[in-house]
Amino acid sequence: MRDDKPLVTIRGLRFLRGDRAIFDGVDLDIPRGKVTAIMGPSGTGKTTLLKLIGGQLRPAAGTINVDGELVHQLATRDLYRLRMRMGMLFQSGALLTDISVFENVAYPLREHTGLPESLIRKLVLLKLEAVGLRGARDLMPHELSGGMARRVALARAIALDPMMIMYDEPFTGQDPISMGVLVKLIRSLNDASRLTSIIVSHDVREAAQIADYIYLISNGIVIEHGVPEAMLSSASEWTSQFMNGLADGPVPFHYPAPALEQDLMGAAG
Amino acid sequence: MLDLLARLGRIGIGSLEQLGRGHLLLLYMVVGVGELFTHPRLLLKQLYSVGVLSLLIVAISGTFVGMVLGLQGYYILSQFGAEQTLGVMVSASLVRELGPVVTALLFAGRAGSALTAEIGLMKATEQLSGLEMMAVNPVKRILTPRFFAGHISMPMLAAMFSALGVMGGYFVGVGLLGVDDGAFWSQMQAKIDFDDDVLNGVIKSLVFGLVCTWIALFQGYSAVPTAEGVSRATTRTVVHSSLAVLGLDFILTALMFGE
Repeated sequence: MRDDKPLVTIRGLRFLRGDRAIFDGVDLDIPRGKVTAIMGPSGTGKTTLLKLIGGQLRPAAGTINVDGELVHQLATRDLYRLRMRMGMLFQSGALLTDISVFENVAYPLREHTGLPESLIRKLVLLKLEAVGLRGARDLMPHELSGGMARRVALARAIALDPMMIMYDEPFTGQDPISMGVLVKLIRSLNDASRLTSIIVSHDVREAAQIADYIYLISNGIVIEHGVPEAMLSSASEWTSQFMNGLADGPVPFHYPAPALEQDLMGAAG
Repeated sequence: MLDLLARLGRIGIGSLEQLGRGHLLLLYMVVGVGELFTHPRLLLKQLYSVGVLSLLIVAISGTFVGMVLGLQGYYILSQFGAEQTLGVMVSASLVRELGPVVTALLFAGRAGSALTAEIGLMKATEQLSGLEMMAVNPVKRILTPRFFAGHISMPMLAAMFSALGVMGGYFVGVGLLGVDDGAFWSQMQAKIDFDDDVLNGVIKSLVFGLVCTWIALFQGYSAVPTAEGVSRATTRTVVHSSLAVLGLDFILTALMFGE
């Protein structure tokens, strides 16, 4: 498995929602064993991209190749087999609310392995230890803070030792401490277990801090890609506006509207 | 004019699409029946929350409906000196109509709305997506056990409703208004037919069970994943289920008793 071919290869991806093209000719490579960040303004379909890679949505055109398999052409059974090797961390955590933290992490193990209960217990405790929540195993999901829920979801995502993990906005709405914890966890999990990580985010500082490579997406196309340092000092106005968080630039501050004077005078109707 | 036609067409196509999706979901749920044998605990849990927890409201309603039937029946029948047949009147109305129909309406309000809200919220909080990404089929794992739990519970709840209704009628008729104890039961025994009355009632509640649970699960599964979307879906569940039950009741009654 240790070859240099990218784990995920996307070519000419086109995806429509209604009549609106979310992606229109996106080419992407996700290298193995690295942390790749996919960034862009809200509403650019970053989450949609993860769902496309996970086979939950099908593209209108183009190919999505994950570890040598064309995700969008797989039969359900093969798709499920491939998904067992993918972990996904949802923004909300997506924990099952009617079972405890322990049972949530044990869920994929019980579903897909015939392991005896004693071994499942050990594995679950180890996974929870990795995210620092072994002591919270008997809590119910509603008793967890947002950051804790995300860490439990991470323990669940790595329960089956996947080849890659997709993180959907892992830093959104976190206080600085749990943000720091998550950044450290993502990096150390990636390096310790030789995972491939894809992070979808618009938190520039955190993403640039842990990513090995960054793709910047807007208006359905890849605007620019490169290593974080190159992106931060990019000559492109757009990239520089996004990476440095400037209010105005090629992406205007104002939603398209008639001139203010005209509007105030009531002339624009 | 053309606009109106176009809008009508869109509504028509939209409804057909919904209908198609609903039937596909029904098919997937039924095909997933094997899941109940590999994971019987899932079904038991749902039988408890859909069936057992609906028991109280069904039991109380059944008793009161039976008591009202006893009262009303007594006043009408006694005008013709036929109060001895009170048992027949009470039990026939309950077993044939009120048992299955009122139980189904209560079920739609109590269990159906809960199912829709639960599934809709699971969708809104990405739990269904999460299961999919864990390579677990949410239709089989989440919907199928609920579907069969509803289907199994409904006839039992309706039977409970009718039985307690008869007891309520007995309490009012015999206990309070002085109808003869022996006549109440023997008339009922003689006039109520197992095939015509009881079995037809069971068939009705089986159909209602299927329709109510199906509508509830479909509305939850196709709900717009927002707070407003889930609330609308819950309302739709109760409205659609109630209308479907009343409409189907007429059709089934016409087929069963209309000669």
